[in-house]
Amino acid sequence: MSKLADHIKETPSRRDPPYRPALLLDGAGRAELASKIGDADNYDLLQLREMVQTAPENMEFRKALVSAIASAEYAGVDAFSRKVCEWQDWDVPWSLIMAIARQTWDEVRHAQLATGVLESYGCEIGEYPDTLAGGAPPPSVTGNGAGGPPPGIMSDPIVTLSAINVSLEGGALRLFEETSKLGERIDDPLLARCYDYNWADEVTHAMIGDYFVRELALENPEAESRALRAHAMFEYARVRLGEQQTHELKEFFAEEMQRATAALGGQAGGYN
Amino acid sequence: MRGVQPTVLHIDLQRCINCSLCRRACPTEAINYFSTGHRTHVIDPAWCIGCDICAKVCPVDCIDEDPSYVPDPAQLEIAKERARAFAKRQHGIKLMRRQRTAAAISAVGPVGAHSRAPSTPQASAEPSTNAHA
Repeated sequence: MSKLADHIKETPSRRDPPYRPALLLDGAGRAELASKIGDADNYDLLQLREMVQTAPENMEFRKALVSAIASAEYAGVDAFSRKVCEWQDWDVPWSLIMAIARQTWDEVRHAQLATGVLESYGCEIGEYPDTLAGGAPPPSVTGNGAGGPPPGIMSDPIVTLSAINVSLEGGALRLFEETSKLGERIDDPLLARCYDYNWADEVTHAMIGDYFVRELALENPEAESRALRAHAMFEYARVRLGEQQTHELKEFFAEEMQRATAALGGQAGGYN
Repeated sequence: MRGVQPTVLHIDLQRCINCSLCRRACPTEAINYFSTGHRTHVIDPAWCIGCDICAKVCPVDCIDEDPSYVPDPAQLEIAKERARAFAKRQHGIKLMRRQRTAAAISAVGPVGAHSRAPSTPQASAEPSTNAHA
């Protein structure tokens, strides 16, 4: 237990459940979402952007788009503030803890700005489901259930920095830039300014991630492999990749499997 | 694209933050990352058609021209063909999104059944200071 975590009480969430992920909506939840945006499966950032662009006068489409992004900002506050505590248990530079504390405040500001944009649409946080589920991994991920990575892996700074700061926040750069441009196109200056502002923070977050992954992996090939693996797994799960990149990723995983098999003395190769 | 013989690009690894934007945007998928053996984004010049898309999306301006590389005309044609296929796929995805959008508008109406007017005035319509655009 970290020194800081000793002083922080576990407080219950004001929402029950704390997160309501879109992927886990029941039939009634999906029907309610469909009544607003035509189809529950339209609750996808790229699809919603197309819908806002095509029908800017439809405020529900705008609310859905900003809600989908805003919920991830709130989850970011949850996730990064946890890291400030958890990473004191790891051998990381204090400057990294400070950088993540700064990033937490950035996410707070992003959440506030998005909430302001939503209020201008007559919408509140919670009217639409969440897109991410914050920093507390589900039991299957913490190792209490089957199929998840080993316990503690989601707290590993190099894994989080590579998967979240570099990959997820890197992807957010495009999302924010495109959303800002969309705001300009549909004459929504609040939307345009909000995501223009956030874009600059995302560059810093990706830089923080890349800088500290380099620092932590300096002269440590195993750590660099862990970072690359985390990035690869994250992209495989979340990014629509082209044919060549999918092939590159598959080869990467095949090589990883070979290395793991060799490390185990060939014991893991028994599927033939 | 600059003329018949394009100038390929390369990534300055010291300045690159590995955000992957260039790799995801490249129409020939010429940028390698997971096969480089390190956390480095590297452009394979054989597949680069010099379209500059990677340089335009880079948030830290770390992608520059590499005039020292002379592209092979035959390979360049193959790379361009890959770019055309990429564009076709992107177009297909866009069409699919448009169809879904049309269906959504048809289901809820152009204004939307739940919509309310904005409750607070929007910010003034001054030009955006979108320095990265």
